[in-house]
Amino acid sequence: MADASQDNTQKGGYDKRLDPAVLDRLSGLTLVARTVVEGTMAGQHRSPHKGSSIEFAQHRPYVPGDELRHVDWKIFARSNRLVVKEFVEETNFTCRIVLDASASMGFGTLRWKKLDYARWAAAALAHLVIRQRDAAGLVTFDSEVREAMPPTNGANQLAAMLHALENSKATGEANVGEVMQTLVPQLRSRGIVAVFSDFFDELDPIVTAVRQLRHAGHDPILFQILDPAELTFDFDPLLRLDGLEGSGRVKVDPKAIRQAYVEEITKHNDALRIQAQRMNADFVTITTDTPLDVALSTYLAHRAARVRG
Amino acid sequence: MDLFQGFLNPTLAAGALLAGVPLLIHLLNRQRHKPLDWAAMRFVEAAFRRTRRRSQLENLILLLLRMAAVALLGLAVARPFLGEESLLAPLTESRRDVVMILDGSASTGYRESISSVFDRILERSRERIEALDGASGDRVTLIVGSSAARTLSDRTPEAALAALGTVTKPSSEPMDLAAVFGEVLQLAETESAGTETSGLEVVLLTDLQKRSFQVRAASDAEDALETPALVRALDRLEELGVSIKVEDLGPSQTTPPNLGVESVAPIDTVLGPGLATEVEVTVKNWGTKTVPDARVSLWVDGVKLPTRKLSVPARSSASVLFPFEPRRTGEHVLEARLPGDRLTFDDSAATILDVPPPVDVLLVDGDPADRLDKTEVGFLGAVLEAPPDDNLGRAQYKPFEVRTQSLSAFTSSDPDLDEVDVLVLANVATLPGSTVTAIEERVAKGGAVVFTLGDSIEGARGLKAFNDRFFDATGTGLAPAELVRQFEVPERRANFHRCADFDVDHPALKFFADERWSAYLTEVPVYGFVATAPLENARVLARLDDAANSPLLIERAYARGKTYLWTTSIDGDWTNLPELPTSFVPLTHEWFRHAGRPAPRPTHAVLGAPLSAEFEQFPRNASLSRPDGSKTRIDANPEELVGGRFGLEVATQLDQLGVWTVSAENTPDLAFVVEGDATEGDLERLAPNELSKFHSALELESLDADDSQPIEDDASRGELWRWLAGLALLALIGETLWSAWIGWKRRIA
Repeated sequence: MADASQDNTQKGGYDKRLDPAVLDRLSGLTLVARTVVEGTMAGQHRSPHKGSSIEFAQHRPYVPGDELRHVDWKIFARSNRLVVKEFVEETNFTCRIVLDASASMGFGTLRWKKLDYARWAAAALAHLVIRQRDAAGLVTFDSEVREAMPPTNGANQLAAMLHALENSKATGEANVGEVMQTLVPQLRSRGIVAVFSDFFDELDPIVTAVRQLRHAGHDPILFQILDPAELTFDFDPLLRLDGLEGSGRVKVDPKAIRQAYVEEITKHNDALRIQAQRMNADFVTITTDTPLDVALSTYLAHRAARVRG
Repeated sequence: MDLFQGFLNPTLAAGALLAGVPLLIHLLNRQRHKPLDWAAMRFVEAAFRRTRRRSQLENLILLLLRMAAVALLGLAVARPFLGEESLLAPLTESRRDVVMILDGSASTGYRESISSVFDRILERSRERIEALDGASGDRVTLIVGSSAARTLSDRTPEAALAALGTVTKPSSEPMDLAAVFGEVLQLAETESAGTETSGLEVVLLTDLQKRSFQVRAASDAEDALETPALVRALDRLEELGVSIKVEDLGPSQTTPPNLGVESVAPIDTVLGPGLATEVEVTVKNWGTKTVPDARVSLWVDGVKLPTRKLSVPARSSASVLFPFEPRRTGEHVLEARLPGDRLTFDDSAATILDVPPPVDVLLVDGDPADRLDKTEVGFLGAVLEAPPDDNLGRAQYKPFEVRTQSLSAFTSSDPDLDEVDVLVLANVATLPGSTVTAIEERVAKGGAVVFTLGDSIEGARGLKAFNDRFFDATGTGLAPAELVRQFEVPERRANFHRCADFDVDHPALKFFADERWSAYLTEVPVYGFVATAPLENARVLARLDDAANSPLLIERAYARGKTYLWTTSIDGDWTNLPELPTSFVPLTHEWFRHAGRPAPRPTHAVLGAPLSAEFEQFPRNASLSRPDGSKTRIDANPEELVGGRFGLEVATQLDQLGVWTVSAENTPDLAFVVEGDATEGDLERLAPNELSKFHSALELESLDADDSQPIEDDASRGELWRWLAGLALLALIGETLWSAWIGWKRRIA
């Protein structure tokens, strides 16, 4: 699946790179906000303003002043208790897609790089969000913000985002945590912040940034995009590794350091995952050999299930 | 202090250098890192920091194990052996260094039964070698002793046994013990490596022939003052601590019987067709009992003459004469034979007799007189020509064909000199240039010219005319010396000169070497002579007793021929020689017979040496007949020599005693005799008590001695290859386990 979708994307722009197969797989899914979001338009997401809507929320005892139309008369008839039905008010939300375009994202042992995969995932997510009439924005960065598109709705926004994604190049050093921290004050409306990165950075700034996002009422989703070789380090010949972000050069015997390497990267990822869980943020590791539709649909389905309880 | 004293397979020791190959591969691999741009460098660096030391240690251990395995394997196959002082000496196995000398002299061919002494020596040496253990590093040097020491093998007992299989019979030569022990001494000196102690075990398997243990007399007075080489070698071996075990495998008798042909030779030196003479065959009885009826036969050119019997006293010689009257000129092969006895190598002897044709002498008279007997030519003709018969009606043998010509007749036309062997220019002051050229050509091809002086050459003009025509200081002239000045005694009755000394070794004058006849040359009065200045390469055969010791007879080689200058005359005015037939006849006969014959070709060859032959014609389809009757084709290409002759390499090594014959188309057969040393037939043996008296380094060993143990304990310096091979195996196993463990550890990671 991923191969086919990626092959298609090699030939045209990002509007064409939205593989119909991937989109079709995602068509039955929605990106739902796990927390309450604010919006000005009626949408699929819960609004802090409860009122009349089509989705039942809960029962509560009747208190004087409640509108009688909200009394659940069926329960009164069965149990002689006055309870009032409450409904969730649905609203639209903003989804900000934050893409790490640092040099480390230019790595890949397959025919595509991590950045390619992240761009395809970001594009699919943007398409999904805009399709459900929510607003989507895009931020690309390396050591600093390179491009920022405020979240809006509409087909033009999707085209603009795809164009921006297409133009993103893997250059510069990554500074994931600090860049995210600088973004937090700039996000006016609460919503979903989907970060696509390999998160090969210091752990503390990233955790701090996630914490700040949570405090600001955002719903951060950390998509860790990794090449499979970065997890297994399964190489045979002796290697001279040149750091993609100018971090030096080292000659290694892969077999000799594999165990230690896997331990190191696993430790890093596990720490990030635990911190994210503590802050009720999603942390999803996706390897670039995983078909994109599978990876996204799986995540979205799980997320939707968790939100609905 | 060297770890190793040497290697049995020194060339394979270089294999130890292959230990560098793993290191080289390691270094090359370090240069072959595949470049890869990598994102997760922080984790790689952290992992690298954690694992670097351990990984380096693991790789170093692996590399060392591989290098050790290769190096140890290389050393093991090179089979090093150690010296006493080596640090590793305690690890080595017991090893023996044995030098086994097999007496390969002709005397060991003696048979008491079916097997010969040499067969017993071979068998005994095989037993002794088989008692050695090559796997423990025992080494054996096998030497066959004859006229020289021939090393058959100097490695393992297995190699020695294989080499032993190539030896089937003894040589036909005596054993030179000095040469043999000289070789052993070299081995001991090398083995001792400057420690003045050698652990060599030396065993001599011999027939204990007394002759072999006799110290040879020194060749000259200076050497006579020195210790003989054999004793010197034994002294030195004793200093090095080498004891020589002598095992007696000889015949049971102290002096075994043996008859041998000592010589075969004509009793006369002058041979000619039709000239009856006798051939003397001398037989030696080396035994202690008289042999009353020894049967001797003589074969002349393959034809057997009637057998003769003779009685040969014990330890003595006796001769028998066979009549010999050659019917033709040329070479004749004479071979005397005894019936085969227990030692066969000396049961025959041969010689080659060259029966020459008459010498063709042309006498040219430079000053003819009315009476022939008053001229030099007349005198010469008279003594050289044989009388027509011997007064018994039989034709006389004619050693010379003499012709006489006057100078005018000789120069009237171009002389035909092809058949002339000796041209005598008597009293000839000069000749036409064309005649001189013709003479030069003849002499160059092998003829001889004899100048005698006389009245025609008197005075300065005469001398100058002679010199101008016949002498050239560069050596291109015919005369061997320049005529300088004429001397004449003032009063013949009171003064005369005599021959002061002469070359006793020269064939032309050898007759006078005998004291009985020397006066016939030295007492001949000479009243006049011409002082001369011989050329550098001229040989003065006789000198006068004047103050300057002036040459009397001068010889010089001229290409293949010879030229002679008699510095006086044959004339009675100059000398009394013509009037002294006891001087004149032998002098002229011996001189002209030598001058008229080309130098005799060598007919005797040396055993073991190569053989080459010279032919007048190109030898086509040459073949070689060996003494045993076998015949082989000669494949070598003839080489053209100076003078139009051809040389041919006949054999690279003469390995049999007897007559070898070379045959080729259009040329007479050439025979060569390879003679043995007749004294080798003396089989008298050394008594046991005489051996240690001869030299204390020699120790007689009984046949039942246990030879499976080293002679001395301190000979236990040996090889290390088992240890090395074991260590190499351990290193290989260690390398395999270690690399498997590392691989497993990394795989599960």
